[in-house]
Amino acid sequence: MKKSSIFGLVVIAIAIAVIISVYSNSSTYGSFGDAQKTSSELHIIGHLNKSKELFYDATKDANYFSFYMKDNNGEERKVVFTGTKPEDFERSEQLVLTGTMQGNEFHASKILMKCPSKYTQDKLEVTEVKAKQASL
Amino acid sequence: MDTVYKGEHLLPGHIGQFFVVLSFGAALLSCLSYYFATTEDAGKLNSSWLRLGRIGFYLNSIAILGIGVCLFYIIYNHFFEYHYAWAYTSRSLPVYYIVSGFWNGQEGGFLLWTFWQAVLGNILIARAKSWERPVMTVIALSQVVLGTMVLGVEIFGVRIGSSPFLLLRNALEGPIFSNPDYLSFIKDGQGMNPSLQNYWMIIHPPTLFLGFASIVVPFAYAVAGLWQKKYKEWIQPAIPYSLFACMILGTGVIMGSFWAYESLNFGGFWAWDPVENASIFPWITLVAAVHVLIVFKNSGHSYFTATFLVLVSFVLVWYSSFLSRSGILGDTSVHSFTDNGMFWQLVIGVLVFLVLSVGLLIVRWKELPITKKDEETYSREFWMFVGAVFLGMSCFHMIVVTSVPVWNAIFKTKIAPPSDIVKHYNVIQSSFAFVVTILTGFTQFLKYKKTDVTRFFITTGIYLLFAALITALVVYATGVYKLNIVFVLVMWGSVYSVVANGKVLADAFKGKFKLAGSAVAHIGFGVLMIGALIAAGTSNVISINNTGEGFSPEFAKEQNPRENILVYRNQPVKMGDFMVTYTGDSISAPNHFFKVDYKQMDANDKVTKEFVLKPKVQVNRGQLASSPDTKHYLFHDLYTHITMSNAISATEGGAESASAHDEGNDDKNYDAPVSHEVAPGDTIKYRDGYILLKSLNKEAKVQNIPLADSDVAIGANLEIVSHGNKYEAKPIYMIKSGNVFDFARKVDDAGLKLRFSKVIPESKKVEIIVYQQPESQKKFIVMKAIQFPYINLFWSGTIIMVIGFFLSILRRKKELKTV
Repeated sequence: MKKSSIFGLVVIAIAIAVIISVYSNSSTYGSFGDAQKTSSELHIIGHLNKSKELFYDATKDANYFSFYMKDNNGEERKVVFTGTKPEDFERSEQLVLTGTMQGNEFHASKILMKCPSKYTQDKLEVTEVKAKQASL
Repeated sequence: MDTVYKGEHLLPGHIGQFFVVLSFGAALLSCLSYYFATTEDAGKLNSSWLRLGRIGFYLNSIAILGIGVCLFYIIYNHFFEYHYAWAYTSRSLPVYYIVSGFWNGQEGGFLLWTFWQAVLGNILIARAKSWERPVMTVIALSQVVLGTMVLGVEIFGVRIGSSPFLLLRNALEGPIFSNPDYLSFIKDGQGMNPSLQNYWMIIHPPTLFLGFASIVVPFAYAVAGLWQKKYKEWIQPAIPYSLFACMILGTGVIMGSFWAYESLNFGGFWAWDPVENASIFPWITLVAAVHVLIVFKNSGHSYFTATFLVLVSFVLVWYSSFLSRSGILGDTSVHSFTDNGMFWQLVIGVLVFLVLSVGLLIVRWKELPITKKDEETYSREFWMFVGAVFLGMSCFHMIVVTSVPVWNAIFKTKIAPPSDIVKHYNVIQSSFAFVVTILTGFTQFLKYKKTDVTRFFITTGIYLLFAALITALVVYATGVYKLNIVFVLVMWGSVYSVVANGKVLADAFKGKFKLAGSAVAHIGFGVLMIGALIAAGTSNVISINNTGEGFSPEFAKEQNPRENILVYRNQPVKMGDFMVTYTGDSISAPNHFFKVDYKQMDANDKVTKEFVLKPKVQVNRGQLASSPDTKHYLFHDLYTHITMSNAISATEGGAESASAHDEGNDDKNYDAPVSHEVAPGDTIKYRDGYILLKSLNKEAKVQNIPLADSDVAIGANLEIVSHGNKYEAKPIYMIKSGNVFDFARKVDDAGLKLRFSKVIPESKKVEIIVYQQPESQKKFIVMKAIQFPYINLFWSGTIIMVIGFFLSILRRKKELKTV
């Protein structure tokens, strides 16, 4: 067998390994119901329930923020985020949470929020907050 | 009936739009003429098609300049009847940011790109000689496609492109636009996003777009080579241009990373955001391409890989433009643009160049000079080829993950990206980086064609061992060993690359100067990797805060590190090795700076180091945006940013003082008052310290209140000591015309209001009432502080790498002349 064909096979093997590892690492968009059944991290899309309390009091705990979110199936859960309340959170139109269920609370490690831009109706602004500093 | 609008300046827009259409038409003319000059007039020296092609291209360049001038005129004169001026600038914007307002929107980005491409086209017309016709056909084609992006014309009911000269009243809908005098209501534009008001935003986008634009040149040469069947000849002139594109694009990307580190608050220099990734796809493939181009030039091997990588780099430029501009990344990226109706046009843009590349390769497949002979195992060309393939694989992985929303759109799936995406990228990309860095080292010791094997193994072995020793030291000293083993391997690879290329560089000084460029570039890359590894791997959040009360048993159970710390004004807090104090604010709209004082103390409480950081929060469009401030040291950086504060409001500047005048309600701002009976010399304890009644002043005066003989005014000289700070206050007690008054004094910095309310002659005491602000009313900031060790290696590695690219360009240009 020629050396270049061997190398070609190695490359194909690595490419397949990459695809498999990405696929197995990938998570899914789900609902709170799905999150209840699994202990792995999930992405949940939904919107903030603005009629319920948003709790953040820096003087008591600068790293505790809780709110209620309805997922796309209409299910609602209390969400806890270990960090400060993001600016303009109340105005958010859509939230993408990453995290796991802990009992009846959803503990989010990352929040991606989309806010309508104040002036142009057709634009959304996206911001992301993380509970933990990213590290290697 | 058409409304006649008052006060609009339509002329510059009309002229601008004329130039937009002209630039498109001229590019089309140029492209077709060059095409016929290549086919019909092949071999003819005096070709009228060629002349026409040049004229078309010159016209295109002039039109692009015209667009720029018109747009700048509109922005500079604040003509807010134009959507572009209104959406991205405002009257208060300083002139130097008006320049960056120019490329704030998507249209501006395309303009910048097409401008640079026009500049490069003119250079090629002057210098490409026999290559001019086919190469310029491709470049003009690229100008045509870019031209459609800013056309803004409706054809058969489909809007093609988005023009920067769109009027506000055509861009938005609203009842206001039925008023002919609507402009008198639009006093100001929306202004620029505060995070973009940074000097890096003046230089970063032009550099980045020059990088993107210059990839068209090697692409055009590759296409021309296939088209004209000059399979081998195109390689040599394409090498310096490819190196140039690598150098500029690399610089542009790292500038963006530096801007993010300096002024955004995600806490780092690289976040693996899809838009960031998209900008380095073409860089990685082009770096790989440069290596195999050189392989082909020297050995005749790897022809297909070289062509493929050059072609794919340019297609990826378009793909990355599609990713960031089409809105498809909406769920995964923080800074993607939203779709402004050009989704399918961008797809077509990608497809045009993809189909062209694939089509040409298929048509010419049988004729390609692909060698049947196998490369020698111990030859430089073989291992350079392997390295290029691994770079390609690393790019492949990034594309697969970044494009998850694209796969979802195509296959109607609902896959989400890996939840710990940063870790996912770091681990997999590091595996590739390990292989690549090792290859950048030992390949330098191999020769083209054939190498003396024994000697090669001995030297490589020695250097690998030496690098392993250094790595062990570095890894131990910096704490990298605590991380995943793959990072230690990358460290080893990077150190090895620096050491081995250092040897090559040393030889270069002894006379083998040809290899200096590559040695310097590889050293730069190695240093960059070392810096990135240590800074990202051992970055250390020092604002750890475990004092929160926790709100549910579950919440407390998790041992989440809490990374935000609460600091009250003038109340020092211990944070890591530092005492941190929030000492005050300084406001210069739209910036609100928070002064944070850092003190480092030795064992005897003596201050060894002290500095003040001023992270800021910007108020813009009723929104707050926070920007960090960083203390730079040679070996580490200390980064601080405000995550929250009650000292700033979105309406800062106007409404703030309103409540202060409302004296009657003022007491509501404080906790229930506590009264104390004290004599001079007594102290009053309170939550944050104590208050000393130093003396009483029987001749106190109150401004504007004249006192008669029977009136009495007594001042209490109070000294307040709170958290090591001293303040003075003099509340006054007064009897005027038989009525009792008292004048309270506030000490805002200590959150106190003090009243001198009574004199008790029997006990020779006086009554002082202490109002203190509740904890929540006191001014505070919530901040996050991170230490980045050795981050300067990352920046300096980049600079060294750029110098290396530059040296290589010089060398390859010289080779061109000698041939």
